[in-house]
Amino acid sequence: MTESSDEKRYDSEARIDELLNSYIDGELTVDQQAEVEELRARDEGIAQRLSQFQKCQTLIGALPRAEAPPQVLEGVKIAIAGKALSDGKIQKKYPRVRRVLAAAAMIGIAAVMTTVMRSMISPEPPVSEKSSASAPAPREFSGKLELRTSDLVAVSASVNKAIEGIHHAEAIPSARREDKRIYSLSCSKKNLKDLLADIEHVWPELDSATLSVNTGVFGEKIVVQTVTTEQVVKIVEQDNPGKRIEITRDFAVLNHMESHLTDRAIVSAIEGQNSNLTHQWQAPKPSLAQRENVAPQTPSQPEDKDTVHLTIIVSW
Amino acid sequence: MRSDVLTDAANVDIRRQQAAGKPMSIDDNLLIEQCRQGDSTAIERLVLKYQNRIYNVILKICADPDDAAELTQETFVKIIENLAKFEGRSSFYTWAFRIAVNLTLNYCQRNAKLAVRSLDSEEASYDHQTSHALKELLSDDSSPDPAAMAQNKEVYEIAIEAIRQLDEPQRAVIVLRDIEGMSYARIAEVLDVELGTVRSRLSRARNRLRDILEALLS
Repeated sequence: MTESSDEKRYDSEARIDELLNSYIDGELTVDQQAEVEELRARDEGIAQRLSQFQKCQTLIGALPRAEAPPQVLEGVKIAIAGKALSDGKIQKKYPRVRRVLAAAAMIGIAAVMTTVMRSMISPEPPVSEKSSASAPAPREFSGKLELRTSDLVAVSASVNKAIEGIHHAEAIPSARREDKRIYSLSCSKKNLKDLLADIEHVWPELDSATLSVNTGVFGEKIVVQTVTTEQVVKIVEQDNPGKRIEITRDFAVLNHMESHLTDRAIVSAIEGQNSNLTHQWQAPKPSLAQRENVAPQTPSQPEDKDTVHLTIIVSW
Repeated sequence: MRSDVLTDAANVDIRRQQAAGKPMSIDDNLLIEQCRQGDSTAIERLVLKYQNRIYNVILKICADPDDAAELTQETFVKIIENLAKFEGRSSFYTWAFRIAVNLTLNYCQRNAKLAVRSLDSEEASYDHQTSHALKELLSDDSSPDPAAMAQNKEVYEIAIEAIRQLDEPQRAVIVLRDIEGMSYARIAEVLDVELGTVRSRLSRARNRLRDILEALLS
């Protein structure tokens, strides 16, 4: 057989296959359908081919479907919220965080510092009705912890191990990117405290640790730079959403100010020339003295109010 | 894990009706307008409405649940970020799937891990009974019900492996047609190719799929 006749035969077979597949999919005109039916009746080979295509199609089409893991929605919310803060356009729609942080930093810093110190010293202070009412925080904690390190492998191994040690937690590890590991975690507060205790030792290896807490208003989150494990625990363990937001803001301001202590212009603008608040800024970090006061939690299946959703991102 | 996340195939017809362009229960235009205004509830509804279908298509193309979850998330972030640019020239459903498929195919190409492998390198061995039943299915000597067979875990794995061995454009067209139930015209819109290309690509893909299944079972 010549090369040309081979090509013709191939073209003809290819055309017939296209017709057969389009027939199966109901994508032919009435005339073309009649052509296929005639071919099928005339040629047993074509009839068998049609049957095979049909079975392949039915087999693939009937494969069970997978449902998206619940962490997808959470991840989308966090990612959008993260972009919203760095995106001017969206930020204009939600200027509250900027206003609150700017006001707190430039005008009311002394008062905020007092609140922070009080909250550290006095466990479970009453939350004012005003702050609770104005804080549209979600009942469950939801946030993102970003850990930057030059030793990605060691740090992510520690996080991995700690997550594996948690029972009854839903975690989606994503170890697919060379420069990043992402873990979407849903677990009880107690589990998260245990996890943080397990990974506390990696903190000295970190270049930065940043906690972003969702406020419940789309596009709004509070970012705590240089966050410690104790601060994360302190934020997460708050049952009252308003109180949680309040404490998160306090830590955000506290850590921000600590990182700018050398900026004399800011210090003097806020305190005046003769303030002794700088001594208070160097006060010890918030302690976990309240741990004993935390209500006992079921170690097995976390109740809704006890569930926390945290995305941990380890990157370099 | 798979048994936990798999749902039955009872809604195939409904999905196909939607994919073919039949009206959907919730007005996408209203939802999109609310999303554009920054309504977090609308955004959540939009994600919840489409996340399973988009995740399922991505999973069948990229074959890895972790990657699929991440790509689904990335798809929705991109959708929401670009809602202002969505002009409604195609339906939202088509536009959303175009984003999802493009992201997934780009990701697959970047990560050569999904490159087509030679069948000779496959060392998977499957249960004898399953292989026999599938061979019968393909050889047409008997008539087992392919839809019922697809519920078998082993058959599922063989079929997924066969899809995975298609090259990416063929994989995309098979998934969009046979799994998502899209019409040829809609597939052409999603993949931004001619209708004739969809027709020929799908035909070649089914041919190859049959060959791969036979090779996997031999």
